[in-house]
Amino acid sequence: MDALTAHLSELGHGLVTTVELTVVTTVGAMLLGIIVATLRIAPVPLLRAIGTAYVEVFQNLPLLALLVLFVFALPTIGITFPLFTSAAIVIAVYEGAYLAEAIRAGINTVGVGQAEAARAIGLTFGQSLRHVILPQGLRAVIQPIGNICIALLMNTSLAAAVGVVELTQAANTVNLIEAQPLAVFTGAGLAYMLLALIIGQVTGLLERRLAIVR
Amino acid sequence: MSILKMSFTGRRSLALTATAVAVALAATGCGGDSDSGAPALPGNPGLGGDGVVAQSVYDAAPVATDADIPAGSAMDAIRKRGYLSVGGSLDAPLLSQQNPVSGTIEGFDADMAKLLAKYITGKTEVKTTTIGTQTREAMLQAKSVDVVFQTYTITPQRATQIAFAGPYLTSGLAVGVRKDDTSIKSVKDLAGKTVIVGANTPAVTALPSAAPGSKQIAFGTDPQALQALLQKRGDAYVQDFTLLASGAKANPGMKVVGEPFTTEAYGIGLNREDAQFKEFVNKWLTKIQADGTWAKVWEATLGSVVEGGAPTPPALGSADGS
Repeated sequence: MDALTAHLSELGHGLVTTVELTVVTTVGAMLLGIIVATLRIAPVPLLRAIGTAYVEVFQNLPLLALLVLFVFALPTIGITFPLFTSAAIVIAVYEGAYLAEAIRAGINTVGVGQAEAARAIGLTFGQSLRHVILPQGLRAVIQPIGNICIALLMNTSLAAAVGVVELTQAANTVNLIEAQPLAVFTGAGLAYMLLALIIGQVTGLLERRLAIVR
Repeated sequence: MSILKMSFTGRRSLALTATAVAVALAATGCGGDSDSGAPALPGNPGLGGDGVVAQSVYDAAPVATDADIPAGSAMDAIRKRGYLSVGGSLDAPLLSQQNPVSGTIEGFDADMAKLLAKYITGKTEVKTTTIGTQTREAMLQAKSVDVVFQTYTITPQRATQIAFAGPYLTSGLAVGVRKDDTSIKSVKDLAGKTVIVGANTPAVTALPSAAPGSKQIAFGTDPQALQALLQKRGDAYVQDFTLLASGAKANPGMKVVGEPFTTEAYGIGLNREDAQFKEFVNKWLTKIQADGTWAKVWEATLGSVVEGGAPTPPALGSADGS
């Protein structure tokens, strides 16, 4: 336990970075997910193909490989982002593919009659999405979205491999000094668990408030 | 040639000076390197043909007598099993790197492990498990591996968790910079600079006191850290001298400046409960140091980027924690 209490500030900084990375990435992935899901149900075949390609590419590549490519390959063609920004972009793009599929599942729960009714009262595709289909579709898949957000939180730990000092990296550094991996990583693991429980609670609350009972 | 100041005193400094000269030669691309021109691959430096320890060295290496291995001891279990279970790396040039063609693991640490296996079982058979630096203590405590050979720095804190035989090799942290950089000449010039370090290396803890006011960024592996230096994510890369030396040989874009500013003593990680095993390994180290095997292994591996012959091996038990 001393190994943990002696390094609370380092671990605290790491925890804050993990939370920041999770929040920024969740917002980005959510926006991307909605856009990609919309592409996948769009009336234009080319847009549908783009949406499908996005999901297939990013669901079938390991996140760590994407991170290493983004951080080390882009600078060779002259594009360099700060490390935190790089990690946030890559994780958002990656998780966006998973969120897109969850959102598309939600959209599929909305009855065809709803879309036809929206068209019948003169709404455009964009308007019927915004006012009729997405609000109902998203409310149907709050729980799966929450699960993906928990997976996203765990995936932020991979940012440690490309130099972002988040909770896992902070734990690594503390362990380097104290050489007590069991205590240090149990502590870090409990912190991750706590964050995941918070996301789970928020999801549950939203589910009870917003879910549509059919 | 002016990038290195030769200002060492004492016996160990002979080896360090030799290393420094070799690195200066490798870094500036001049000197008596027969293979200068095309950058050589680290781990295949060309010494003794393909740069690996000659079979004759393995053949001549000592084997423990039955009296050294009491029934029921850890050594006895290893001998019965027929191979040594080793925790190590596959990506450390000159220390422990897997040859992609032959599949064998080559380098100083890898050969030390093979020689210890020979001493116990009579064969150089090892089973290498790659382990992360963050799980070495846990692996040893759980007895998932018999020994760890992984440039494992002996520290008093680590010695409360596991046991260290040795030290079997000493080195130190040094500073690598991009070739065209003239503003950094030693660790003293790192204040206010961004310094790349390997995550979970001694540099993480040594840097704040050696270069106050420097900012660190850590990368998971040595190749990543080197790449980050070349891509200007930091001004310098602080890493063990042996790793920087092989990096400088393989990458014309970087050079090593100044002398090593710390002394790292590398030990062989063992389970802490088994004092008998530690004593046994230390006895083996004494043997191979005395009969010249240690020097032959050093010359074929690390010595291939360092001119001037093998240094004096470190004295057993000389590091705090060993």
